[in-house]
Amino acid sequence: MRPWADVSEIFRHRRAKPVERWERWVLGLLLFLGLQSVLYMAWWWYRLEHVQNPFLFALLSFATWYGIFRMVVGWYNLFHVEQPDPKPALPGLSVAIFTTSSPGEPYEMFVRTLAAAREIRYPHRTYLLDDTQDPRFAQLAREMGAVHLELVGLPGAKAGKINAALEGRTEEFILVLDPDHVPFPEFLDRVLGYFEDPEVGFVQVAQAYHNPGESFVARAAAEQTFVYYGPILQGMHGTGTAVAVGANCTFRRSALESIGGHGLGLAEDLVTSIRLHARGWKSVYVPEVVSRGLVPSDLQSYLDQQLKWSRGIHDVLFHEYPRAFRRLSGYQRISYLMIGSYYLVGLTSLIYFAIPLIYLFFGRYPAAVLMSEYVQHALPVGLCGVAVYGFVQRWLCDPARERGLHWRGTLLKLGSWSVYLKGFVLSVLGVVVPYIPTSKEKRTASFWKQARVPALLILLSLAAVSWTAYRILFLVSEGQVRISTEVTMGMAGFLAFNTTFMSGRLYAAWKDRERRSE
Amino acid sequence: MTPRKKYQIAFFALGWLVAIGVAFQFGLKVVVTRLYARVADGWTTVGQAISDVEGRALRGVRHTSRTDYLEPFRPILRSAEALRIPTRQLFGAYDGDFPKSFSGFAKLEESVGYRFPIISFYAAWGDKPEQQFPTRMVETIDRMGSVALVTWEPWVVDFDSALRPNLLPRSQREYAALASIARGDYDFYLVPWATAAAKFGRPILLRFAHEMNDPYRYPWGPQNGNRPEDFVAAWKHVHLIFQKMGAKNVLWVWSPHISMPWFEYYYPGPEWVDWVGMGVLNYGGVASWSRWWSFHQILEKAYPALLKFEKPLIVCELGTLSHDGDVLEWYRQAFYHIDHTYGRLKAIVFFNQSHDTTMSQYPLNWSVVQSPRVAAFIAMELERKSVL
Repeated sequence: MRPWADVSEIFRHRRAKPVERWERWVLGLLLFLGLQSVLYMAWWWYRLEHVQNPFLFALLSFATWYGIFRMVVGWYNLFHVEQPDPKPALPGLSVAIFTTSSPGEPYEMFVRTLAAAREIRYPHRTYLLDDTQDPRFAQLAREMGAVHLELVGLPGAKAGKINAALEGRTEEFILVLDPDHVPFPEFLDRVLGYFEDPEVGFVQVAQAYHNPGESFVARAAAEQTFVYYGPILQGMHGTGTAVAVGANCTFRRSALESIGGHGLGLAEDLVTSIRLHARGWKSVYVPEVVSRGLVPSDLQSYLDQQLKWSRGIHDVLFHEYPRAFRRLSGYQRISYLMIGSYYLVGLTSLIYFAIPLIYLFFGRYPAAVLMSEYVQHALPVGLCGVAVYGFVQRWLCDPARERGLHWRGTLLKLGSWSVYLKGFVLSVLGVVVPYIPTSKEKRTASFWKQARVPALLILLSLAAVSWTAYRILFLVSEGQVRISTEVTMGMAGFLAFNTTFMSGRLYAAWKDRERRSE
Repeated sequence: MTPRKKYQIAFFALGWLVAIGVAFQFGLKVVVTRLYARVADGWTTVGQAISDVEGRALRGVRHTSRTDYLEPFRPILRSAEALRIPTRQLFGAYDGDFPKSFSGFAKLEESVGYRFPIISFYAAWGDKPEQQFPTRMVETIDRMGSVALVTWEPWVVDFDSALRPNLLPRSQREYAALASIARGDYDFYLVPWATAAAKFGRPILLRFAHEMNDPYRYPWGPQNGNRPEDFVAAWKHVHLIFQKMGAKNVLWVWSPHISMPWFEYYYPGPEWVDWVGMGVLNYGGVASWSRWWSFHQILEKAYPALLKFEKPLIVCELGTLSHDGDVLEWYRQAFYHIDHTYGRLKAIVFFNQSHDTTMSQYPLNWSVVQSPRVAAFIAMELERKSVL
């Protein structure tokens, strides 16, 4: 937790290191090797003699190649890594900062955010879009030199309030500032210059956090975002597909008006950006840290946030994407499809967990391949994946704090598979998930409620191992037991892996329990 | 920069990329294969150790094991000397699921109520881990109280050209492969195999390059320019390597195709052979070249010639299909002749393969137990033999 201890270092403006020419060459070479490794593996994977159980083989192939396909498209995106040149803001623009408050959000957070907004150097007017009906908030806005707008009973998350506030205001540029974010004084100066190009509809900055040191979940959740706000979004900038990410996006009023206002939905940021892109507006991603906010620090808030995102993103995939498809550029079509299918990882995780269980319980397995051949063909892909992941971290926005293996983030993501799956299923069934703002305060839920899924999976694994032991001792012929040792051990090892993958979520749930009892 | 120049640069860049890429894949492949070969031994040892733990637990719980059942055969099966001049007739079986699974084999033993002293399986030459000395398989057979009969097939094309640059390209390798083996071209493969066999230490029956006189079947047959003297030279060369590596526990089973003429010319000599083997498979009316042959009809012509070698005889593959004939009657006659006509048959190995695809496009079913009555009959015969 060390790197997150020094507050003066955290609240400081940062910009990703520029991309050098030689770095592009190295990245290109790595990507070429990676691509070639993928072809080499694919050429080996699909062979009839490998197929043991056709149905399971199809499932395993889907899970494996979904992951590899995503990686390859990700590489393609990284190849286009691009940073906009810093552009000074022209003086005299009229700028509004919108920040929203909802019942239940802590008062102190707004004290900090509004104070910081007041310190932003570029002339602007701050608005508090408030539906708490709490007189303290109106009082606070007045004290901080902000305009207080009472907007109660509007649909959507922030979008309803933003759209209502847009009417009757005249500012040409609107920064939608998340209330948990503390903006730095240079924020608007780093952003407004890009609007000089009349086609630019919105400018997004990196989303960074100041509380990853708070807990395991906070650190893990932050780790999941580092590479995204670093090289990935820079690649998206390079292909003209940079999206609005829900916080700290600055919009051009005419752009928002051209699509009938800010989009609604669980992933309203994504709805808005796909509509703007479909309208032909350009987007800019600025790889700079000009504010820091809060990342969920307890498991329940994290899982709620993930469910909301996965449900919302699938909504975009199923409803917005087909509508916008015709008017998107080729890059944008690919990019939004990739974003939209991100949370299918819930489904593929389920497949990975199920396969060893199916073997240990029913003796069926997807493929008969030699370990040595698998290693020989999969290792190059893995090596290239890791090498690329390591290499592109040079373009993180704040490498000192963000560089690393991000194992916490990976463990927590793997552990959250059930939530992603739930989001996917809910979208397919069309079940509505109510909008609740991501909690800025610790939420409480009992350990067992949170640990249900990982604990169940671990229990199932234990049952499978016990059943196997019973079969070995009493049911199977002696020769069979003696010759199948490696397969049984391999599958048991696979199970141990799965259990380890669940440990992140289990650990987080346990830690939360401790934090509650404090 | 002229357009032509750009084009040239792009062309060379692509060439370099491809070259680097090929070097990368090739290098990784060689490194992985080498590393794996180094780790494989340790891996096998660990696997065997765990397998033994399982075996001990199993014995502790079930209070019985196959080894106890085969205790009477122990003196013969545990000594290479005794196995050279067996004092009892030995039965064995191969199962089509080997080496992946022993379930089919267990089912066969269950249905005939017998535990076979010989367990037979096939091993091919090549670079892959499963083509090296089958330690896990022979150890497993040993732990089960039986002795392994390994049919060792020199499929020389299975060696990877990338890893073995001094071998001929695959397409040219099969021609006169036996002479090439005799010259020592494959010692890189033979030496570790023989060393592992010596390390195993307990008796193994090794049936190398079987049916070498059949021009229709395997690549090491005469159709590929392999003369009888090449076979003999190859046999002796392989044998000598085993001797040099101290693999005295290996017994050599010379096994020609007895329906093809001139097999005597392929005999390496009495000091190079321990057992003389043969296959007795009745294809029935399955193909244009086959008809229903009884056990006796298959064996009678070659038997006198086989006797002349003065070695114990082993039927390495015994089986019948069910096309155009009565399986029960076939076995009835076979056992009659085993008892009364062919007294020098010291071992008989059932060929229990239910989906044999080596001879035809559709699988042939060589299952031993084709009906409960066949099972009952074979069970009765084996029971009678074990009382003797």
